[in-house]
Amino acid sequence: MTTLETLRALCAAPGVAGEEQAASEKAAELLREVTEDVEIDRFGNVIAWLPAETEEAPLLLLDAHIDQIGMAVTSVEENGFLRVANCGGVDRRLVLGQQVTVWGTEPLAGLVAVKPPHLSDAEERRKLPEITEIAIDTGFDREEVQKRVRPGDRITLTGPFAALQNGRVTAASLDDRSGAAAILHALRLLAGKKLPYRVAAVFSVQEEVGGLGAAVSSFRLKPDEAIAVDVSFARQDGLEDRWPNPGDGVMIGIAPPLSRGIFDELTALAEQKGIPHTIEAMGGRTSTNADEIAVQAGGVRTALLSIPLRYMHTPVELVQLSDVEAVGELIAAYILRDTEEGGDSQCS
Amino acid sequence: MQLTEILEKLCLLPGVSGDESAVASEILSLMEDYCEAETDPLGNIIARKKGARRSDKTILFDAHMDEVGLMVTAAAEDGSLLFTTVGGIDPRVLIGRQVLVGEDALPGIIGGKPIHLQDADERKTAVPADKLRIDIGCRNREEALSLAKPGDMVAFLPEFARFGNGAFRGKAIDDRFGCAVLIDLIRSELPVDCTFVFSVQEEATGFGAEAAAFSVRPDIAVAIEATSAADIPGVSGTDCACKLGGGAVLSLLDKGALYPQSLTRRCAAIAEEKGIPFQYKTAVAGRNDASAYQKTAGGAEVLAVSAPCRYIHSPQCVIREEDMRAVRELLFALLENF
Repeated sequence: MTTLETLRALCAAPGVAGEEQAASEKAAELLREVTEDVEIDRFGNVIAWLPAETEEAPLLLLDAHIDQIGMAVTSVEENGFLRVANCGGVDRRLVLGQQVTVWGTEPLAGLVAVKPPHLSDAEERRKLPEITEIAIDTGFDREEVQKRVRPGDRITLTGPFAALQNGRVTAASLDDRSGAAAILHALRLLAGKKLPYRVAAVFSVQEEVGGLGAAVSSFRLKPDEAIAVDVSFARQDGLEDRWPNPGDGVMIGIAPPLSRGIFDELTALAEQKGIPHTIEAMGGRTSTNADEIAVQAGGVRTALLSIPLRYMHTPVELVQLSDVEAVGELIAAYILRDTEEGGDSQCS
Repeated sequence: MQLTEILEKLCLLPGVSGDESAVASEILSLMEDYCEAETDPLGNIIARKKGARRSDKTILFDAHMDEVGLMVTAAAEDGSLLFTTVGGIDPRVLIGRQVLVGEDALPGIIGGKPIHLQDADERKTAVPADKLRIDIGCRNREEALSLAKPGDMVAFLPEFARFGNGAFRGKAIDDRFGCAVLIDLIRSELPVDCTFVFSVQEEATGFGAEAAAFSVRPDIAVAIEATSAADIPGVSGTDCACKLGGGAVLSLLDKGALYPQSLTRRCAAIAEEKGIPFQYKTAVAGRNDASAYQKTAGGAEVLAVSAPCRYIHSPQCVIREEDMRAVRELLFALLENF
C-alpha cells in the first residue's frame, strides 16, 4: 500500500475527538497488515506491537493522534436545523456555507446555513458567527432529523481527498492522519527485522481537546523512550518565512519538554542517511502529545517529529507525501541505528 | 427525461460567467430534434419552437447558463494563484474550499491561516477574497504559470445529490434549474409558439440577455430563475425573501426591474385557479435577466418566475422538488393562456 493509498484510507474514516471508532478501526486494520498484535484499549487508543529480539529490550513508544477536529450536535431546532458545539479548534472563518457530514444513524450530508449575498450587506459579510450560533441544514424536518440524529453525534467538515501537484495531497483530516501514515510507513520498513526495542505504536484519541489519549496510554505503557509524530505549520501566504515548505522533509523538534539526547541522535541520523529535514525550535510547550507523554509515570525521554502542513484545521489541509515518508524513514533509522540492519533502513 | 435528471446533468458541468460553452453544448444536445436552435456571437442559445397555434406576440422564456465562480488573475512567487470573483460571492464561503482550475480541472484549494496562529481579531474577522489564494501544489510562480494562466476559470466542485426529504443539493442550481425547466418545455408539446434564450454572463454583466433582446425583440419576456431563500435560523419574516416548500416565487420588484402588475397578477390568478402553490418574493433584492428585456430593443413586458433556493452563490445550493414542479406547472398553465 502506498503512502497515498494509506492516507486516503485513513482520511476517509471519521474520527472527531471523543468518537474516534471508525478512524481507529481503519487504522487497526492497516496495522494488522504489519503485525498481528493490535489492540484498542478501553479509552479508544489503538496500540500495535512489534516485538524486540530480546524480551528485556527497552520499550519505544510511537504516538500519532487519530482524532480530528469537528463538531457535536447539541440540539435540533423546530425547523429541523441542527445546533452544534465545536470539538477542538474549529475555525469560525470558514464554516458558513460549508459542507459537512453528520454521523448519525446513517451519514447525512449537511450544509451550514448562510444568507445569500443578495440579502446581506457588506457589514454583515464581514461578521462571523460563533460555532454555537451556526445552524446545519440536512434537508429534513425536525421529526425526520430526530429519527437519524441524536445530540452528541459528531460532525466532520467535508474536505475530499485529492492529489495536487508535486506529490502534495489535500484532505480534511491530514492533522494527524498523516502522522499515523508516517508511523505505518516506519512499521512497514521495520517489519521482519530484528529490533533492539520493543515498539508500541499508539494511535491516540482526543489530542485535539488536550492530549487525553496519549496521557492515558503512555502512563499505562511506561515507555523508556517516546517519539510523538504530529503535523506542524508549513510556509504559506501570510506566515513567517521560518516555516519550511512542503517537501522540505521531516521537522525535528527541539523544545524544553523534548529530550535533547534523542534530538541530537535524530538530527545526526537524518544527516547521515540523507533524509530531508529541518529543525523546529520551540521555546516552551510543543502543544502536541509530546507534552503529555514527557511527564507520564515519572517522566519519559520524548522526541517530536512533525510533518509540515498548510492550512491546519481547515477542510483543505495540505501535506507532501515525501515528508510523510521522511518521518517514517527517520523513525526506522533511529530504531535500527545500532544494529547491522541500520545501513539499509531507507529501502522504501 | 425527468426534470431532475436534466438538472443533474447541467449542474455537474462548469460554466462560470464568460465560459459557458460546456453547458451550452449539453443544452444543445438535450434539445436536438425538438426545436430550431442557434448560438449568437456572445454564446447565447436562442431556440424557437412551434406550438399548436401562432401568437401575435413574441413570447420569450429566459434562463441563464452561467454560474458564479472565480478567475485566475496571476501567480504569486510561492506558486499560489491570485484570483478575482466572477459574480456576487460572499467571501466567507470561499475559504476552506476545494475548487477546479482551468480547462483541465486541476484540483486546487483555498486555504487560510491556521487558527493557532490567528490573533483574537483575526479569529472573528472574515477574510476578504483578495487576501485568499488558490494552492494547486506548485513550488513557484513559473511552475504555476505552466499549469494555470490568468483568465482561467475556477469552478466549485461539481456535486448534485438528494438532500433530506424531497430536496436536492448541488452546484450551480442557480440557474441550471431555469435551463432544465426550459429544456423540459422544449421537449414537450407547446400550445403556442415560443422563443427560448439560454443566456450567458447573467451573474457578471447581464449582457447575454441584452444582446438576445435585440435578436428576439420579445413582447413578453419571462425569466426563470432559482432565487434566494433565506428561510434559515436567525432570519425571519420578510427578510427570508421566500421559503422552500412555498411554491413558485413571483417577483414584484427587485434591484433590476419593477414587474408590471398586469402580468404578475395574471400569472398569480392562473396559479390560484389551477391550485399551483406560489408565493411573492418579500424582499427587494437581487436582479435577473428580466431587467435587460424590460428596457432593451424597445422593451418588453416582463415576469420573473423562480424556484426558492437556499445558499445561492455558494458552492452548493438547495432546491425542493415540489417547488420545481410548481414552477414547471405554472409555466405550462401560463402558456395555455398566452
